[in-house]
Amino acid sequence: MSSTTDRRPGGRLAAWVALTAALMVAALAGVFLVAPEDADQGIIQKIFYFHVAVAIASLVAFLVSCVYAILYLRSRDERHDDVSAVSIGIGLAFAVLVVITGSIWAKASWGTYWVWDDPRLVTFLVVLLLYAAYFVLRSSLEGERRMRFSAIYAIIAFASVPLSFYSVRVARSFVHPVVFTSSGANMPNSMLVWFVVSQIAFLALFVTILQFELVQRRAEKALRRAKLRLEGD
Amino acid sequence: MSAGGRLVSGRGLVRRFGERAALAGVDVDLAAGERLVVLGPNGAGKSTLLRMVATLLRPDAGTLEVCGHRVPDRAARARGRIGLLGHEPMVYRDLTALQNLEFFASLHGVAGDGDRPMTALDEVGLLARAHDPVRTFSRGMAQRLGLARVLLADPDLLLLDEPHAGLDAQGARLLDAALARGRAGRGVILVTHEVERGLALADRVMVLRAGRPALDEPVGDRDPAAFRARYDELVR
Amino acid sequence: MSPPAAPRRTRQFLALLRKDLRLELRTRDTIVSMLLFAAVLMMIFQFGIGSRTADLETPDGLPAQVDSITPFTGGILWATIALTAVLAVGRAWVPEREQRVLDAMLVAPVPRGVLLGAKAASLYAYLVAVEVVVLPLVFLFFVRGAGAGSLAAVALTCLVANLCIAILGSLISGLALFARARDVLLPVLFLPSLLPVVIAAGGATHAAVQGTIDLAEYRGYSLFLGAYALIFGLVAYATYDHVFDD
Repeated sequence: MSSTTDRRPGGRLAAWVALTAALMVAALAGVFLVAPEDADQGIIQKIFYFHVAVAIASLVAFLVSCVYAILYLRSRDERHDDVSAVSIGIGLAFAVLVVITGSIWAKASWGTYWVWDDPRLVTFLVVLLLYAAYFVLRSSLEGERRMRFSAIYAIIAFASVPLSFYSVRVARSFVHPVVFTSSGANMPNSMLVWFVVSQIAFLALFVTILQFELVQRRAEKALRRAKLRLEGD
Repeated sequence: MSAGGRLVSGRGLVRRFGERAALAGVDVDLAAGERLVVLGPNGAGKSTLLRMVATLLRPDAGTLEVCGHRVPDRAARARGRIGLLGHEPMVYRDLTALQNLEFFASLHGVAGDGDRPMTALDEVGLLARAHDPVRTFSRGMAQRLGLARVLLADPDLLLLDEPHAGLDAQGARLLDAALARGRAGRGVILVTHEVERGLALADRVMVLRAGRPALDEPVGDRDPAAFRARYDELVR
Repeated sequence: MSPPAAPRRTRQFLALLRKDLRLELRTRDTIVSMLLFAAVLMMIFQFGIGSRTADLETPDGLPAQVDSITPFTGGILWATIALTAVLAVGRAWVPEREQRVLDAMLVAPVPRGVLLGAKAASLYAYLVAVEVVVLPLVFLFFVRGAGAGSLAAVALTCLVANLCIAILGSLISGLALFARARDVLLPVLFLPSLLPVVIAAGGATHAAVQGTIDLAEYRGYSLFLGAYALIFGLVAYATYDHVFDD
C-alpha cells in the first residue's frame, strides 16, 4: 500500500494472489487430510479451523478500517478513506462467513442452527448490523463529507464491537454463571499447526483482496479524471 | 502570526466539490478598513470563497490567513472576530427577537446582558418588537434582525453574501449607512449580483469567473456605466 | 481594536441548552411525540409478548402459572426508551437545519465540543422528561411485588444509561445531519451501537425489580454502563471536531 505510483501494480498483486492461493491449498489440505479428526464431532469439527480464522481476519479488517479512518481524519487523504471502506467491505463479507460457519458448527454441536448463548456468535451478528449501516451511511452522503463521516462512523462501529461482546458476555454470566473458556485453546500440536496455517491464509486473503480493490479504485479515479480533462471544464 | 495587519490573506485557494473545482486558484487580500466587493456570474465561486474566509470551509489547496490566524489549523481563534450575513437572517423563528440576540451574544461572549441586545434592536428599528417571536416578522424585519445579530458582536471582519436580497428599504438604508460609516479596523467583503450598488459601497472590486479571478483592482473614481460594460464583457 | 476575551464555555453551553429547551417548550414537537410513542410501544410489548404468560411452560411441559411479566420488565423498559430516543436524536438539529441557523452558529467562536456537549445535554433532558412518565407506568403495568427501593434503583440506572444514550445520540445526530433519507438512516446508525446499553440497562433493571434487589448483578451492569459512557465519551472527544469541519 505504498503511496508512490506503482509502475507494476499487477506484478505485486500477482505475487500476493499466488501466495494466498498456496496458503489456502495448504490449509485445506492440511485440515482435511492431515489433521487428526476430533473424536466426538468428527469431520464437522474441521469447520472450526476456518470459522475462527475468518473471525479473527474479520476483526483485523475492522481494526485496519478504524486505523485508516483515524488517518483520514488527520490527513483528509482520499486514499486513506479507500483503504478504510474496502477493509470494511471485506470484514463484512468475512463476518457473513463467520455467522454461516458458526451456524453449521452450532448445528453439529448443539443440534440447532442458532443459539443465543455464545457471545462470540451473537457479537458477529451485531457486527453485521453495525457495518452494514456503514454502507447505508456512505450511500446517503456525497463528496468529502461522505469520506469524513464514514471515517467517524468507522471509529464508532469499531468501539461498539468489544462493547457488544462484553455486554452479551456479562449478561450471559449472570444467567449461566459458568466460566466460559475460549474453546480450542487446548489443542494438540497436530491440530494447532493447521489452525495457524489457515489463520495466516485468511489474513493473506484479506490483504490480497484489499490490494486488488485499491488498484481497481485508483484506476477508476484516474480514468474519470482523464475523461473530465478531455471534456474540458 | 499576523500578516502585517491584514485581515484576510489568501494565496492559490482551491476548493473542489466532487470532481468540480468551485475555486481553482484564487488570491484574496483585505486590509483593515478596506471594503472588497466580489462580483461574478452564478457558479463563479463567490459564495464558496466567502464561506472559506468565514472558516466554514477548508481550502483543498493554497494558504489562507484570517484575522492573523491560519485556516484551518487555527480557525477557532479567528472566529470570534467574524460576522456573517447571508440572504437569510439565520435566526430562530420560534424565539423572540431579544432571545435570539441574547443567544448570539452569549455565543460571541458579548459583555453585559440585556444592554447590548436591546441597543442593537434599537439600531435596526426593532425595539418595539423585541418580545415578539420572529415567526411574526416580515421578511424584511427578520433580515434586519439578522443584521443586528451580525453587528452585535462588533466584528473586525464583516462577510456579507447578497445581504440586500432579504432587506426592506429601511434595512437596506441601515446596512448601507453602516457600510459607508465603517469602523476603524473593520474590513468588509461583500458578495453581490448588483454591480452598481457593489461598486458604490466598496474600495476594491474582484470579479470571479469559473473559480478564477478575472479582475482584482481598486474601485477609485470609476465610472459605473463604463465598468458595467467591461464587467458584462468579462462574464459573457 | 484588541481581540475580545474568549467567551466562557459555560456561558455558551448554558445558552445553547437554554435555547434548545426554550424551543422545545415553545413548539413541544419532540417531547409529546416521544411520550405518545413510548406509551404505544409499551402496549405493543404487552400485546405482543406479555399476554402470552398463559402459554409459558415449566421444563416438564406443565403450565407455569405465571401471572406477571416482571422478569421482562427490564427488556421492555429499555427497548421502549431506546426506540423513543431515536425520535429525539432525529429531531436534534432540525431548527438549525430548517431555519439555516447552523452557519451563524459555526461562525461564532464556539468550540465544537461545546456544541455537541450541549446537544447531548438536551437529549439527556428529553430522556429524563420521558422517563418521569414512563417509569411509574412500567411499574404499574408490568411489575409485581417490588418496592420503592426498586424504583429508586431503576431511576438510578436511567440516569447513567441516559448519559450513554445522549453521548452516542449527539454524535450520530451530527452524522445524519446532512444525509439524504435522514429518517430511515438514523435508526440504522444509532441502534446497533446502542445495543450494549439496552442489554446492560435492561439487565440492571431486571436485577432491581425482583422482590429483593440482586446487588452483585446490578453493580456489574452499572459498571458496564459507566465504562460505555467513558469509552464513547473518548470517541466523541476524538471525533467531534471533524463533524462540522468542512
